[in-house]
Amino acid sequence: MYDTQIVQAVWGGVLFGSVYGLMALGLTLVWGAVRLLNLAHGAIFIVGAYAAYWVVSSLHLPILVALPFGVLAAAVFAYAMHLVFIRPVIGKPGFDNATLVATVGISISVSAAALLIFNPEYKVVPPELTGSYIVAGVQINYQGLLVIGTSLALFAILYLFLTYTRYGMAIRAVSQQMEAASLMTIPVVQTYGLVIAISGGLAGLAGVLLSPLFFLNPQSGFNPMIQALIVTIFGGLGSVRGALVAGFVLGVFESFVEVFYGVAWALPGVFILIIVMLIVRPNGLFGIGEVRRL
Amino acid sequence: MSVGVVSQIASARPAIDQAAAPWRRVSLLTIGGTVLAGILIPWLLVRLPIGDYLVTLLILFFMQAVIAQSWNLIMGYGGIYSFAQVALFAVGGWTAAVLVSSLGWNPFVAVLFSPVIAVVAAVGIGLPTLRLRGVYVVLMTLAFHELARVFAVTGPRFISGGGYGLVNVPTFQFGNVIGEQRTIYLYYLAMVIFAIASFVIWRVIHSPLGMAVTALRDSETYAVSRGINQLRVRLILFAISAFFTGLAGGYMTHYNGGISTSVFDFPILIDLLAMIVIGGWGTFGGPILGAAIIIALDQYLVAIGDYRALFEGLIIAGIAVFAPQGMWPLIRNAYDRYLGPEPPARPTPESQRGGVPS
Amino acid sequence: MLEVKGLVAGYAGSEVLHGIDLVVNDGEGVVVLGPNGHGKTTLLRAITGLLPPLAGQVLLNGEDITRWRADVIAAAGVVHIPQGDLLFPEMTVLENLLMGAYHGPTWAERNVRLGRVYELFPWLKERGGQLARSLSGGERRMLALGRGLMAKAKILLIDEPSLGLAPLTTQQIYASILTVKEGGMALLLADENANHVASLADRVYLLETGMLVRVGPAEELLHDKALLESYLG
Repeated sequence: MYDTQIVQAVWGGVLFGSVYGLMALGLTLVWGAVRLLNLAHGAIFIVGAYAAYWVVSSLHLPILVALPFGVLAAAVFAYAMHLVFIRPVIGKPGFDNATLVATVGISISVSAAALLIFNPEYKVVPPELTGSYIVAGVQINYQGLLVIGTSLALFAILYLFLTYTRYGMAIRAVSQQMEAASLMTIPVVQTYGLVIAISGGLAGLAGVLLSPLFFLNPQSGFNPMIQALIVTIFGGLGSVRGALVAGFVLGVFESFVEVFYGVAWALPGVFILIIVMLIVRPNGLFGIGEVRRL
Repeated sequence: MSVGVVSQIASARPAIDQAAAPWRRVSLLTIGGTVLAGILIPWLLVRLPIGDYLVTLLILFFMQAVIAQSWNLIMGYGGIYSFAQVALFAVGGWTAAVLVSSLGWNPFVAVLFSPVIAVVAAVGIGLPTLRLRGVYVVLMTLAFHELARVFAVTGPRFISGGGYGLVNVPTFQFGNVIGEQRTIYLYYLAMVIFAIASFVIWRVIHSPLGMAVTALRDSETYAVSRGINQLRVRLILFAISAFFTGLAGGYMTHYNGGISTSVFDFPILIDLLAMIVIGGWGTFGGPILGAAIIIALDQYLVAIGDYRALFEGLIIAGIAVFAPQGMWPLIRNAYDRYLGPEPPARPTPESQRGGVPS
Repeated sequence: MLEVKGLVAGYAGSEVLHGIDLVVNDGEGVVVLGPNGHGKTTLLRAITGLLPPLAGQVLLNGEDITRWRADVIAAAGVVHIPQGDLLFPEMTVLENLLMGAYHGPTWAERNVRLGRVYELFPWLKERGGQLARSLSGGERRMLALGRGLMAKAKILLIDEPSLGLAPLTTQQIYASILTVKEGGMALLLADENANHVASLADRVYLLETGMLVRVGPAEELLHDKALLESYLG
């Protein structure tokens, strides 16, 4: 029995860890580059999920077609949000206030729109992979493995993108020293749009991959977003590496607390952990002290 | 740091708002008139067939305005991005409910403890959180909201009441009074709470504490270098905001006869946010105006059902980006232009600039 | 090549430059001399688009670039090496240099430019993998200069190259700038110290409290000790 519990905890931890990491990745990228706290991240998550659901249920296309569609829909939505609500206030003194409120407002609207278009019933999004096998009495499903694998792959891809490609380096430059980036002929505002679109795509991907694991409803975006926020801050705002490591650390931690102390203690446990982190290392695991913006 | 940036920060330091001094803004006559109107209105309204209902609307307005003002105090003036407002309201509400339901206290006494416990909770969250940057405050307060919700739903029976909240909580009793008369007494209680809260918040805003917190919001490094204790100032403000929010929570519990876990759902949070944003972020009159607008529209908005949240979200987002000052400054400007006293002569740019112009 | 007419610029509520007229011709070394706080950095930032001018014009070979975005101005060949270096702290020395050539040369061209920069500062090649934030003050300055040289510049605007440097490093820096100038590059240099720039300057402008109070050939202004002392103290 002890054995089973440990396997359960580890499996749950790694699975949730990779999901949190994926969600946090988008948030941390946007924070690093645009210094924007995107509270609409959860909304973009469900845009991806619902888009994929629609493709499957209304167009009757397989989930493998729906997946890229969902990712694209989320990325486009994120970019549109940038054009309408973010770009107009870039560089203005009220940027932080405006974007905070705007992203909250968008979050609410998307939730409401999902409710109106798809009604409040829980939707079932088919997984890309079905089936599972048993390890020490714990069900390891293939969809879960896919999620973990995709998450790790994405971190690797993103790392390579940021380190070795021209656009990736532009994103890093804008994150580190915005004015100098301009002087290097990098179009800063366009780069913001690129980062926001990429972040949206990541959120959408998380949405499509994850929704088979729970039931999709208009409120589905909020919890993942809060988790993502916690992971992002724990790992260090703006740090890609931080998002990956923190995702797994928090995922495993939460999972162990859940298995050994019960579900009710999961959130308080994480809460306490993050308070400790903020006292000991306010910049998070890999965060670097930076000029205060928000 | 280049000279340019330093001078930029220095000139961004807020000057004392000349127009805010109470004796310039609003005459004693206006205040007296408003108070008188407030006292008389319910008696007039009950003459109408729907009068009783209108009075209850006013009660709702008073309470929502109190919470909105409190939230605006920390967000608009303090620049503290806290989402714990609803949770603090709930803390206040539950305190009163539990004291009365489980311990059998008198509602009037219980409601005095609501703000106290709310302040304790606020200080509890505030101590670790308020010394950190804005984004952390967002997270911690959101987490607190979630925690409070989970606790309210899954907590011990005397709190969660089986997951939906506490019902059948004894309400305010004014002797043996019932019906319209009782509504009017409830109205007066709400009005008193509103008046006290508004007065205190006004005083805070125009006190050194208020100036300090706005200075911190606008230019933290400068304010701290001038000796403003960041944590203490913010904590006090947070506590004041929690006090009145908790009080409103206690009142509402005994007004409604219970408190439901649905208070944690987003519609209430959005409504409050809408009040502040539409009314006027960071202004005194803004949240009051916003509360009035939302409550007034509420009746019509019920008809459009689920579309309400959709529009509210879009309107909040749109105003935040395109008209961030909200409606209150517009009204104030119109008042100044057409009805107000003459403003003092303002120094012209020429007289300010040193040296020979090119 | 670069012409500034009646430029007025400033920050939130206060005007710093009150109408600047200056010219930099092809291959010329122009120095703007002035004490700290009088607008040298503001001038360079206004020209290169980091600060939107309040009035006036900036012309590049006759084209009005006044309201252009900073990245577009940089792409047009107006390269700004800013005060404080503004390096990318979490990038390596090599990455910083490569960012200088972001605008899009081919690999071959990029390597040629790297070669030129390495000739000036050989240590950059050896320590290519070191993070920029771990460099010393003098090293940062050299990297900043190298980074600026990686671009295809028509004119280099350099803001106080010797700020905060030890005498030996200062000499090195100015010697490198001279080398670049001798290769035909037009220069607009903002500086506080007349001595360092003597060899670089063809013409000198004196900037005081946001206005140009003197302009003339370098020989004339830089050797008039009395004049310099009264303006630079």
